[in-house]
Amino acid sequence: MSKAYKLPIGPVHIALEEPVYFKVHLEGETIVDVDILSGFVHRGMEALVLRKNFLQNMIITERTCSLCSNNHPFTYIMAVEKIAGIEIPKRAEYLRVIADEIKRAASHLFTIAMQAHLIGFHSLMTQTMETREILQDVKETIWGSRMDLSANTIGGTKYDLDAAKTKYLFDKLEELKKPLRELFEIFRENKLVMARTKGVGMLPTEDALRLGVVGPTARGSNVNNDIRDIYPYVAYNKLDWNVVLEEGCDVRSRTLVRLREAEQAISLVEQCLREMPEGPIALKGLPRIVAGEAVARTEAPRGELFYYVKSNGTDKPERLKWRVPTYMHWEALRVMMPGNKTADTALIFNSIDPCISCTER
Amino acid sequence: MKTNKQELASTLLSELKLYINAGIASMHTFSGPLGNEDIFVRLNNKEDIASVATMVKKHQGRCVTVTPNGVEGGDEVAYHFCIEGVMLNAISFTDDKTVPSITPILKSADWTEREMNDLFAIKPVGHPNPKRLILDESIAEGVFKEYVSLSEAMAGAATCSLWENLNEAKQGESHE
Repeated sequence: MSKAYKLPIGPVHIALEEPVYFKVHLEGETIVDVDILSGFVHRGMEALVLRKNFLQNMIITERTCSLCSNNHPFTYIMAVEKIAGIEIPKRAEYLRVIADEIKRAASHLFTIAMQAHLIGFHSLMTQTMETREILQDVKETIWGSRMDLSANTIGGTKYDLDAAKTKYLFDKLEELKKPLRELFEIFRENKLVMARTKGVGMLPTEDALRLGVVGPTARGSNVNNDIRDIYPYVAYNKLDWNVVLEEGCDVRSRTLVRLREAEQAISLVEQCLREMPEGPIALKGLPRIVAGEAVARTEAPRGELFYYVKSNGTDKPERLKWRVPTYMHWEALRVMMPGNKTADTALIFNSIDPCISCTER
Repeated sequence: MKTNKQELASTLLSELKLYINAGIASMHTFSGPLGNEDIFVRLNNKEDIASVATMVKKHQGRCVTVTPNGVEGGDEVAYHFCIEGVMLNAISFTDDKTVPSITPILKSADWTEREMNDLFAIKPVGHPNPKRLILDESIAEGVFKEYVSLSEAMAGAATCSLWENLNEAKQGESHE
């Protein structure tokens, strides 16, 4: 009963959100190797952005991905601001953190809900999505959209919080705390969840370092690649928080990192709401982008997001390149999957928080 | 314990000069208000990128990505490395559509070098897995007939006997 099989998953498949193609090599039920093919929906965005001006590109970059949507224009804008030598108002620094952390918590909960679905624990999935719905309400109320917030602009932010909105945010965050704690307990203690996630999809620390993985995938293997910490930006260095690390190197550890970060996001937003200074939210007038080059990075929900901008003094970039977090994780699947069972394929895949729309940009 | 990035950046710069044989065309560092350091180095010889990668590996750094860019007379290839939070951007120039692959040294450069080959036709010479990354054509080769479907395999995962039945049923028609 050690017959070797090849199993195709994708490019379009019920267990995958988006098209990517795995060729899984099996011995019986056990995975021995996996090949990954991508590139089915390449959109040529890096070519498109060269035809648009610096302001239009804020809109395009936000469409790279849904869950990390806030981080794309955010990082792009920070690179442009570096070239132009723009220093944004203090209040905008805090507003940028608030938008980012709300998106992070919502994104993490979505991935975790998918995990509950993949292990067949459907009541837990609905419970997670229901909790996430509080954050979706927040996004819709504050920014007017459930996914793309358009929170940032070159030189500051596009949105501000008045007293009523601040109170609303405080109330909603309070409402989130109890259900989030409950979820954390279930994902940490429940026997069914434990049986399906503990020791599954191992990514040892040395492999995480070698492959250059980022975000919760790295932190679940005890590697601190948190850009908010190692390459601080906006107000993160003024807030009280610690990098979340787990040592299990498995699917469970990556989940726990995400849940702890969702809780931490509440604390970060609350701190911002309390400490945010009064004042303008953006610079007035249009920015002048001189010739130059710059890099910027942020910690998107899935991990490090990198932008490189090169300008030549015109209103359009000469080159704009970005590297999304998931991009670094595909090769890691070839370490995580071998030795596991067929039935865990989709589960391990989900644990890297895959995003094909990001990867294929 | 926090890394002192200014110190690290100046250490890296002095080490770089030892690693690079053909010298540096230009160099500047962007020091951010929050202590972040972005180093930009333009190499005289594209072959030196392997030495830069070796230095990055020695410091347990990683390749963040590679940005190819068509310029007059050839292509500019910018390599972005991260070492303990410091960004090292090494930019080389190629006029013959080839660069030495750094993937054998830094595994983190794997996909981004393959993408460079696909989109800019710049060949990373010595890449261990130089297959297409984007718009893979192998999908047209009828692979669906060659493989078992996931639903069958997942059913087999539930019990051994199911899987054995599946094996039997597939006998004779599976392709090895």
